[in-house]
Amino acid sequence: MAPGNRSKRQQSSASTRRKQTHGKARCLRILRQLSAFIDDELSGNICQEIRRHLGACPNCETFVTSLRQTVSLCRHSPTPPLSAANRALMRKTILETTRVR
Amino acid sequence: MTRHRPEESSAQTRSARDFDTLYRNHVDLMYRFAHRLCGEVEAAKDLVQETFLNAYRGLDEFRGDAQISTWLYTIASRACLRMRRKRKGAPDRELSLEEFIPTSDGEFRLQIPIDGLSPEAALHNKQLREALDTAINQLPKKYKMVLVLRDMEGVSAKEVGTIMGLNERAVKSRLHRARLFVRRQLSARGLGEPLTDHDHTPVRERRSASHGTR
Repeated sequence: MAPGNRSKRQQSSASTRRKQTHGKARCLRILRQLSAFIDDELSGNICQEIRRHLGACPNCETFVTSLRQTVSLCRHSPTPPLSAANRALMRKTILETTRVR
Repeated sequence: MTRHRPEESSAQTRSARDFDTLYRNHVDLMYRFAHRLCGEVEAAKDLVQETFLNAYRGLDEFRGDAQISTWLYTIASRACLRMRRKRKGAPDRELSLEEFIPTSDGEFRLQIPIDGLSPEAALHNKQLREALDTAINQLPKKYKMVLVLRDMEGVSAKEVGTIMGLNERAVKSRLHRARLFVRRQLSARGLGEPLTDHDHTPVRERRSASHGTR
C-alpha cells in the first residue's frame, strides 16, 4: 500500500483483517489457476470461490485485471499485411524451388 | 525427346492448380502467423516460403482429415523450430511458475498502464506496442508458439495440442506461464507515465521537436 495515502490507510484495518482470514496461501493457489479462470474453463464451484476471493483481495483483483489486459492486448495486436508484390514473389520462388529440386 | 508423358504433365498441372488454391487461400494467414512467431519481415517471409514448399511436397499426403489451417500451422511450427535453431532468439529455457509468484504486495499490484483504454485504442500507442512485441519475442520459443497460436491466432487449446504434439494440459500450463511472463514484462517495464490515446509520439521525437523550436 502506498505510504501517505490517508483514505486507503483508513480502510486498512478492515482489509488487514480480511487478509488475515483468507491468507496468502490462497492467493498463490488462485494465481496458479488464473488463466483457466479467465478462459472460463473451471467448474462453477471453483469459479465462485475465486470470485469471492477476488472481491476480498485487492492484490489478486489487480493481478487478474492485468492478466486479462495482457491477453486482450495479445488478441488485438496488429501485424503488417503482406504486400501483393511479396505475395507474388514468394509464390514464384516456391514454384521455382519445387522444379529445381 | 524431352517431352513429358501426358499422365505426368496432367498430374503436375493438377498439383500446381491445387497448390495455387492452397496458397491463395492461406498465404495471408500463414504470413500473419509467421510474422508473430519471427517478429520481423524477412524471417517471416522465409518461414512462409518454407511452409508452402513443404506443403507443396506433402499435398498428396494431406487427406483432409484435419483442417487445412491446422495442417499448415503444424508444418509452419515444425519449420520454425528447425529454422530458429540457426538464428539467435530468446534462450530456450523452462519457465517455472515459482518465478512469477509475487513476493510483495507491490509486485501483486503491478498494473499495465493502459489507463482505461480499450485494447485497440491502447495499441495505437507505439511504446506499448513495442513493449508487447519485445515481451513476446523474449519468450522461449515453445512458450511463444503456444501464446501466439492460442491468444493471437485464436486456435483452441486442443488444436494447439494437435499442432505441437502436446496434450491439452501441457498446452494450458505453457500458456499460463507465457501469459504471466508477458504480463510481468509489460507491467515491470513501467512504461513511464500512463499511456493515453493522444500520446503517439515517442519521447525521443518529442524531445528533438522541442529542441528544434529553440
